Amino acid sequence: MPQLIKDLLRIKKLDASLAIFFGIILTSVFGSMLYATKPLAIVGPAEQPPSVKFPLGTDSWGRDLLALLLAGTKNSLRIGVTAALISLTIGLVIGVTAGFKGGIIDSALMLVTDVVLVLPSILIMMLVAAYLRERNPFYVSLIIGATGWPWVARAIRSQIMSLKSREFMYLSKMAGLKDVRIIVEDLLPNMASYIAMAFVLLMSGAMIAEAGLSMIGLGVTKGVSLGIILYWAQILESVRRGMWWWFGPPGAVLVALAASLLLMSTALDEYFSPRLKGG
Amino acid sequence: MKSTALLEAQAVKAYYSTRQGYIKAVDNIDLIIDKGMTLGVAGESGCGKSTLMNTLMMNVKPPLHFLEGTIVLDGKVISKMKISELKNDVWGVRISLVPQSALNALMPTKRIIDFIKDVIRHHTDVSDSEIASRARKRFEELNLPVDSLSMYPHELSGGMKQRAIIAVSTLLNPRLLIVDEPTSALDVSTQKQVLKMLMDLRKTGIIESMIFVTHDIAILRQIADSITIMYAGKIVESGPTEDVLFNPKHPYTLSLTSSVVTPEPEVRERGLASIPGEPPDLLDPPEGCRFYPRCTKSMSICRSVEPPLKSEGAQLVACHIASGDG
Amino acid sequence: MNPFIRFLARRIAFQITTFIIFLLVIFALPRVIPGNPLAVILNRIYQEARATPELVRTVEKMLMKEFGFGKPMHIQFYEFVGRLLKGDLGTSIAFYPRKVADLVIVYLPWSLGLLIPATMVSWIVGNLLGALAAYKRKTTVDNALLPVFLTLSQTPYYWLAMILLYVFAVTFRIFPLGGAYSRLMFPSLTLRFVLDMLRHYVLPFSSIVIAAIGGWAIGMRSMVIYELGADYVSYADSLGLPDSKVLRYVFRNSMLPQVTGLALNLGLMLGGSLITELVFSYPGTGYLIFRALSTLDYPMIQGTFIFLISTLLIANFIVDLIYVYIDPRVRTSYVGE
Repeated sequence: MPQLIKDLLRIKKLDASLAIFFGIILTSVFGSMLYATKPLAIVGPAEQPPSVKFPLGTDSWGRDLLALLLAGTKNSLRIGVTAALISLTIGLVIGVTAGFKGGIIDSALMLVTDVVLVLPSILIMMLVAAYLRERNPFYVSLIIGATGWPWVARAIRSQIMSLKSREFMYLSKMAGLKDVRIIVEDLLPNMASYIAMAFVLLMSGAMIAEAGLSMIGLGVTKGVSLGIILYWAQILESVRRGMWWWFGPPGAVLVALAASLLLMSTALDEYFSPRLKGG
Repeated sequence: MKSTALLEAQAVKAYYSTRQGYIKAVDNIDLIIDKGMTLGVAGESGCGKSTLMNTLMMNVKPPLHFLEGTIVLDGKVISKMKISELKNDVWGVRISLVPQSALNALMPTKRIIDFIKDVIRHHTDVSDSEIASRARKRFEELNLPVDSLSMYPHELSGGMKQRAIIAVSTLLNPRLLIVDEPTSALDVSTQKQVLKMLMDLRKTGIIESMIFVTHDIAILRQIADSITIMYAGKIVESGPTEDVLFNPKHPYTLSLTSSVVTPEPEVRERGLASIPGEPPDLLDPPEGCRFYPRCTKSMSICRSVEPPLKSEGAQLVACHIASGDG
Repeated sequence: MNPFIRFLARRIAFQITTFIIFLLVIFALPRVIPGNPLAVILNRIYQEARATPELVRTVEKMLMKEFGFGKPMHIQFYEFVGRLLKGDLGTSIAFYPRKVADLVIVYLPWSLGLLIPATMVSWIVGNLLGALAAYKRKTTVDNALLPVFLTLSQTPYYWLAMILLYVFAVTFRIFPLGGAYSRLMFPSLTLRFVLDMLRHYVLPFSSIVIAAIGGWAIGMRSMVIYELGADYVSYADSLGLPDSKVLRYVFRNSMLPQVTGLALNLGLMLGGSLITELVFSYPGTGYLIFRALSTLDYPMIQGTFIFLISTLLIANFIVDLIYVYIDPRVRTSYVGE
């Protein structure tokens, strides 16, 4: 294990992306704790461009945009992680069950997967979110997580199916080990690298989805996130009124987070499947 | 160059460059293919035989590099040719290589006849209908169903695909055909069909000379005139088939032949012997004989001095023991 | 049975199943959430629109009739499907008394006019760029393009829209600030109108295209790199086929998964372009949906979503048709099904 970590850290792409990603996380977590101004507090004149006092300016209510950005990033990350974990769990359970059991169970599960896959997650999320009056971060994570898992399930299923026919599987089955034990001890470790990549990609998608939902007013009902800052920016016409300090930074942070996560997964992918290196 | 030789390779070195150094897959090889000869090349996986085959037709692309040596084909020095020249005049036209695992070698989204048209159209100025009739004729000659031409590769069975790809490789009438492990992925009855096809190619004169690469030495008895044994990037023994199989001089050849179950009682008597140990790392091969660590008969000179290929009886052997050195 | 037809029949069956499941979901949603949605809507209309009590009662009657609140569930569903088959998507509350279907017909063309060309352009150009990057991998071209594509692929459509709007309409007043045409103009087939429309079209169109290109490019690049290592590539090469020919083979085979990818991404692109419309105040279905969602105009929400999903499923089917046509393996492999 330690050798693996050492090898991984030697990959430049991985280092760069990890640096950016964790840099943002640490800044937002510690920043929101240390920065004196409370995000939702009205602290100054409205619609001020960046200055020494307000490094990212103020919004139409006179709130400090830097404070909002720090808190918002933290919340977006939190929702992203939760949603990714939910999607990962659902995808793993369905994928492993379908791949392992095969037959009718497989066909049924894949039908469900395909239906969820076809229906555009954004629209479904909008639909469900609209009907919920109170939306707390967990509900939002749940909605996002419940629509993002199909590709994971499919991928896990094909991995399981190809692993199933390998030798060590016959040995375990012959030894009479229970199914669950075979799954946990033999199959999952082989897929650990893929699960890691899937999580990274899920998280990236989840954060963008959260921002999308919030953008149209269907995000968390209380609190702030990157998407919610953009939502306020949109309905108060910040773009047309030239307040770049309002809508610019949240999107930029979102892009940085998502891009670094994607870079991370690409680097992991290249490391674990050499054919993509194109050597 | 010998007048009877079709292809002559001298002192050829081809290495793979990797971050850790050069992998010496083809290390100072001399090889002659005579006109009308079928040469069997045998050795275990990783000994460099496939690399050698690619090198012989100068299909050398990074990370593989052609370091030294000369290869002369039919009077032309192909080792000095550029890729564009090779593509136009040599590949497919004078030498064809049927790769290992032919199962995916045919273009999956084109009908076989369409792929054939692409290949032939590039080399000659012939009408489509002429190409189609040539292809049909060749398939008939080789006992392949003509309607498989209008099918897609995935519609054919494994054995059919293997035979089809051999047939396609002969369409430009190359003088030398190299087949790399054509029977490894097939069951015994399909193997027979493929072997028969290759022998037909020789008999009808469509192909003049052939190189048959395999790790299964028993097959070579049926098809090869002479056999070359490779080990760890080097040729260790070569000579007429009967001599190499029944009177092997190199300890490695001996262990290869004795691990084969054949009906001949004199071979079976030697018993099944599997060779313990692993071939050497080609990144940093040992100074002396490369088989030394696994050899049961070695002497002290074997460890420090690389044995040269010397004539012993009917064969060429690279072994101190066989040559009686030390 | 012709395997071709068998495959398509299977796909149609799947899409119909999906549609039915979706119908069930959309039918059930407003009826299962706690609280009385009807009261909420009516209350809001009363307060926000400061409507007269008669108007509120009319709306209430309409809702009761159309939603059938009070009748047993299966009758509600039966009536719901019945109306649907007649093309009646209900009556909007926010735009009362206009019918949802009528509104959709008006706004839909603007959405499609953005989405369809943008999808096609981004898909084609993205794939070409991706193939180029793969062919020149590890050279400066690839090394420069890859991070660009990477970042672009992760840029939310709407944020890119904001940036473009800010740069090209606010800072450098090259393009208008929004809408599909100048407020002073009336839609007509005159050249003047068409030019004006195009002027308003550029930014929203470019925003969707640029946002989508990155993803296609990266996907195609990986596919081509992968295919370049395939056995058929080295074999064709060893028979003397020139690079240009071999590349055409690779491109052809790499396109196949990209076509499937198109089907899968249609939903995503749809969502993204709807939110982009919002930023540009473009009068498309996005406007309808967001109006509906924020005012909880249930009939409108229901109607527009049903419409969008059906369009999506039809588009999926068209992509299936195209895929079957271009991949010979699918046509023949269904013999055994």
